[in-house]
Amino acid sequence: MKLDDAPVPNPVVVLREESDDWAILFNPDTSAAVGTNPVGVEIWKQADGTRSLRDIAATVARRFSNVPEGASGEVLSFADELARDGFFGVAEGAEG
Amino acid sequence: MSDGEKGGSAHGMRVIRTPRYVDVEITAACNQRCSYCYFFDNPEVPYHDLPLGEWLSFFEELGRCGVMRVTLQGGEPFMRGDLREVISGVVENRMRFAVLSNGTLIDDSMAAFIARTNRCDQVQVSVDGPCARIHDATRGRGSFDAAIAGLKRLQSHSIPVGVRVTISRHNVGHLEETARFLLEDLGLARFGTNSAGYIGTCRRHADELLLDPALHAEAMQALVRIAGRYPGRVLANAGPLADALTWRKMLDAAGCGAGTFDDGGRLTGCGCHFTTCAVRADGVIIPCVLLAHMEMGRINKDSLEAVWNNSPVLAELRSRSSIELKDFEYCRACLYSPYCTGSCPAMAYTQSRRVNAPSPDGCLRRFLDSGGRPEDIP
Repeated sequence: MKLDDAPVPNPVVVLREESDDWAILFNPDTSAAVGTNPVGVEIWKQADGTRSLRDIAATVARRFSNVPEGASGEVLSFADELARDGFFGVAEGAEG
Repeated sequence: MSDGEKGGSAHGMRVIRTPRYVDVEITAACNQRCSYCYFFDNPEVPYHDLPLGEWLSFFEELGRCGVMRVTLQGGEPFMRGDLREVISGVVENRMRFAVLSNGTLIDDSMAAFIARTNRCDQVQVSVDGPCARIHDATRGRGSFDAAIAGLKRLQSHSIPVGVRVTISRHNVGHLEETARFLLEDLGLARFGTNSAGYIGTCRRHADELLLDPALHAEAMQALVRIAGRYPGRVLANAGPLADALTWRKMLDAAGCGAGTFDDGGRLTGCGCHFTTCAVRADGVIIPCVLLAHMEMGRINKDSLEAVWNNSPVLAELRSRSSIELKDFEYCRACLYSPYCTGSCPAMAYTQSRRVNAPSPDGCLRRFLDSGGRPEDIP
């Protein structure tokens, strides 16, 4: 994925927020599961097919304290992981 | 942002907001009356079914809770004429499923339906021997042929098939042939083992079924030998194989004066109630199908999330791991208690009427006190 891509969540994926600091994204079609922290949950919730990863990274930086510079790279890396496992697609023709 | 798996089996862990897995006794009907069945002959349980609509409403709630897998069991799930609608209800609410079955009622059309869902983790079929004579001794005439036919139909549709072998006096002398039949003739990837326990219908047939120390030793030795021949293909969470692996570690630890195991010396033997709960066929929510008398609420009346987080029954079970074995007279002087977890609360209950007590099943000291020898444990 690229920072200008707008990820679209796979509608079959289940977000299990198991505690304040732990969640699981679960794809029942493939059994794939990804454990994540509140930042990952925020990325997942922000991804609606209209917001670019750049926008999502900016939102994460605003909402969480101690976000390091270059966090957009980590957001991109996380999105790549989710796309590889079928959790994310990319909105056609989306612009950042 | 992503992280490795946390929690699930460790004790003293935080309670997650909703269960990950729910075991559903979808029917109390069964076409067999196996002599070791844990399900029937529980005087504390009413045996009746709910209509489809109740289950479909409940599955919607499970979907909202983010439950990942429903295990459909019974009774015999394939006794339900509306099982396809039941399974569709699970699938439509973004969950996977497994089925525990005797295998005898699975026709090609049903196997094809299950395959098409692409959501089935496993259909587990009970197979208790390599031939009809041995299998049918506990499960009834004709059950072996029907079970194997059902199992092959599942295989023909590439559905993951699990097999559970329940070891009793009837098949303990035939474990080698059983393993060969399952792994070589049927080509299964693996199979699981346990043993008949003093619960349900088995209580009426205990003398006919339960292993004495000598037979338990025979089963342990055979299963360890078989597991060595088929690495990773013979599994056990309880029963003789699990006992052999656990008890050998305990004997070795005691022999060299090792310190307490991380999970030893306390009732840590079951962590299921941190991830899983169950529902009886009549819709009563219970902590585990083996603890069917511990009623916590009713589906579609009580919120599952509220039950999961607030039930005093679950709170009691989750607190087990803080109970020390030295609090129990039999364990106090036991050489092995620093390495012991107290085993299964359900088997503790069925034999002592106490959940928060160590189970006589899986007890190394009891095995030795009743005639078993350390050299019997491979």
